[in-house]
Amino acid sequence: MADSLPSEFDVIVIGTGLPESIFAAACSRSGQRVLHVDSRSYYGGNWASFSFSGLLSWIKEYQENNDIVIESSIWKEQILENEEAIVLSRKNRTIQNVEVFCYASQNLHEDIEETGALQKNHASVTSANSTEAADPNCLSTEEVSLSPLNSEVTAYQTPNSDTEVAPEVNDAEVTGKKESHSDDKTSEEETSKNKSTAEDSTEQLKKNRIAYSQIIKEGRRFNIDLVSKLLYSRGLLIDLLIKSNVSRYAEFKNITRILSFREGRVEQVPCSRADVFNNRHLTVIEKRMLMKFLTFCMEYEEHPDEYKGEYKAYETITFSEFLKTQKLTPNLQYFVLHSIAMTSETTSSTIDGLKATKNFLHCLGRYGNTPFLFPLYGQGELPQCFCRMCAVFGGIYCLRHSIQCLVVDKESGKCKAVIDQFGQRINSKHFLVEDSYFSENTCSLVQYRQISRAVLITDRSVLKTNSEQQISILTVPGEEPETFAVRVIELCSSTMTCMKGTYLVHLTCTSFKTAREDLEPVVQKLFIPYTEMEIENEEVEKPRILWALYFNMRDSSKVSRNCYNDLPPNVYVCSGPDCGLGNDNAVKQAETLFQQICPNEDFCPPPPNPEDIVLDEESSQSEASESSAIPPNSETPKENTNIGNSEESCE
Amino acid sequence: MSMEDYDFLFKIVLIGNAGVGKTCLVRRFTQGLFPPGQGATIGVDFMIKTVEINGEKVKLQIWDTAGQERFRSITQSYYRSANALILTYDITCEESFRCLPEWLREIEQYASNKVITVLVGNKIDLAERREVSQQRAEEFSEAQDMYYLETSAKESDNVEKLFLDLACRLISEARQNTLVNNVSSPLPGEGKSISYLTCCNFN
Repeated sequence: MADSLPSEFDVIVIGTGLPESIFAAACSRSGQRVLHVDSRSYYGGNWASFSFSGLLSWIKEYQENNDIVIESSIWKEQILENEEAIVLSRKNRTIQNVEVFCYASQNLHEDIEETGALQKNHASVTSANSTEAADPNCLSTEEVSLSPLNSEVTAYQTPNSDTEVAPEVNDAEVTGKKESHSDDKTSEEETSKNKSTAEDSTEQLKKNRIAYSQIIKEGRRFNIDLVSKLLYSRGLLIDLLIKSNVSRYAEFKNITRILSFREGRVEQVPCSRADVFNNRHLTVIEKRMLMKFLTFCMEYEEHPDEYKGEYKAYETITFSEFLKTQKLTPNLQYFVLHSIAMTSETTSSTIDGLKATKNFLHCLGRYGNTPFLFPLYGQGELPQCFCRMCAVFGGIYCLRHSIQCLVVDKESGKCKAVIDQFGQRINSKHFLVEDSYFSENTCSLVQYRQISRAVLITDRSVLKTNSEQQISILTVPGEEPETFAVRVIELCSSTMTCMKGTYLVHLTCTSFKTAREDLEPVVQKLFIPYTEMEIENEEVEKPRILWALYFNMRDSSKVSRNCYNDLPPNVYVCSGPDCGLGNDNAVKQAETLFQQICPNEDFCPPPPNPEDIVLDEESSQSEASESSAIPPNSETPKENTNIGNSEESCE
Repeated sequence: MSMEDYDFLFKIVLIGNAGVGKTCLVRRFTQGLFPPGQGATIGVDFMIKTVEINGEKVKLQIWDTAGQERFRSITQSYYRSANALILTYDITCEESFRCLPEWLREIEQYASNKVITVLVGNKIDLAERREVSQQRAEEFSEAQDMYYLETSAKESDNVEKLFLDLACRLISEARQNTLVNNVSSPLPGEGKSISYLTCCNFN
């Protein structure tokens, strides 16, 4: 497979996140010759989703990232006299403050623990941020090394953190909470301790408990996303998926519940008409109030006179203040503000709030009872779907392929080529580079925001109902005036993101401090750590956390192109994931950039129908309609939404 | 939803190194052509052929790699919801055989665990240049619990047989599943539904 790349393209795209992938698909579809590369071994960049072991490797990658700087200068020989180079970054600086906690019983086999103990000794001998501590074998042999967490259990007391370095230090800390205190003990003590836990855990298994080893064992079957987003059922991404037929590569599920967290209780928010009337917690009067208000929100723009006359005074006030002036009980105000408009209390204007509410209501009922869809196997599937489309139209794909530099022609000021890791020069007319690939030099003036993320594996839903298979979204408002609302999305096992009997919970907010500082208060309100005992009062207990991951991700959205230093006009930039719930930003970026390169061209038109190409007699007679291409006798997963089929069923 | 004129629909996915003849196998089967190796597949996502087996119409949707295997960059989503995989190597190319374990790792990681995998040694018309003996391939496929077949897309040897046998197995598998699982037990990721979202006619 030592195939070599062609050296002439129209468009080179660096990074396989969602905007880059949509852009690549659009260009390829319009007949441009596209080269799409990613320096990583997986698709999606910060939009990726991973199997559990893949996620553990990802965590490890960010530990090693600090140390490995391979200075390669093959490119230098290639730069001619009339050229300049824009060197791209060799390391990813977009992920920080990675922390891992494992609460599930680790049920270690002795041989696995041996490796763990070895690793620990090793780590204490070498420097704190030693890369050698991470066993390189672990990365390659996926199944065997399913214990990377164990082998990486490092304590906080590394020389680095002794000196109370600020948490911003770009240090990936992997902490096994249960183990960390034992780090100073001798290995003999460790082994004896483990023997006892091993005994304990055999007991536990009898009681049907979830052990860490189970998560590891089944980890290949589910996909954990780095970003947590949903698709608005009338958002730009759904429209694009349908228009381009890329949707045929994916399956979706409806979000089943909108939840709110109020006075320590999780409740379901009624949002459709049927929900409102079936709700047992609302009084009849409240139901009427809510319906009246929601109807107003749907139509507020259609009656500008009434709206302006009546509400002019509110143009300057926030949405939450506006809601207080409406005939709504505090209960309802809270629902509308946090669960329907999902705007944060302090910042949004009345207009923004009304728009958000309208958008929510507008999306309701297209595919189900809530306005949102979630792709099976995670959001990380979506960039890949667009990449497939790009490839179908001739785009060339290269993962694990890094670009050393962009080559700029001094005279014209334009970029004309890239030089890859092997020193190959590849010419192109246009270049799209995802933000994280730029070096510190290029981004020295850019002010980035951060996203705080937590990923939890829990043992039950935050709101138990008859059905285990619920997908829920919950917004928890910020407590302090300066903190941000936290978005919680709970996924069930049928979304293929967690194993049976567990839930995957994503928490997301704009960063104020580190991810753990921002999100732990909310985590503590909703969940408790998994413990070995107390099975009796299961009824009242909150969901228990088996495993938790915190990290900060750089938010490069809303960075103006002018902030980057010395970019040639034919080098375009797109951002990593933003903090928002929807994906409109990615679609907008891709479409805007596409139109710069291919003005007057259609953006991702539908491809020719594969059935039209078929030559044999039988199927050429059959209808070209594909909307129901499901085997009649196969039990189609009913709750998976084939976008389009389910539309009629609602309302 | 109108009834389509078939009883079964299966998604079959081809994988294997570049140049082993995956596209040729598909085109030979679906169109009866042996393309002299041009890039005619641009814009074609999958090919379809409807066959009749024991009086039942079986629609086979056959997906090709779109060239993403060239630099080992196949998307995971390519494997999702496949009912069967055809893992292809070139009997005149040792390297393509040695890469099989790598492909199996991908299959295990991304494909449904119910997927049927067939190992295919292609290009038997070039027997004089054979590098991989039939016995080695048989042993390998037995160890991996796969069906095994040698084909020639060029001479059309065993190509029909490959797809028709596969279709038979898929039918009996599907029957078993319906029996075992009864109705309405959704098996997400088991490849039962292929979502087409041409929904613009609604709304």
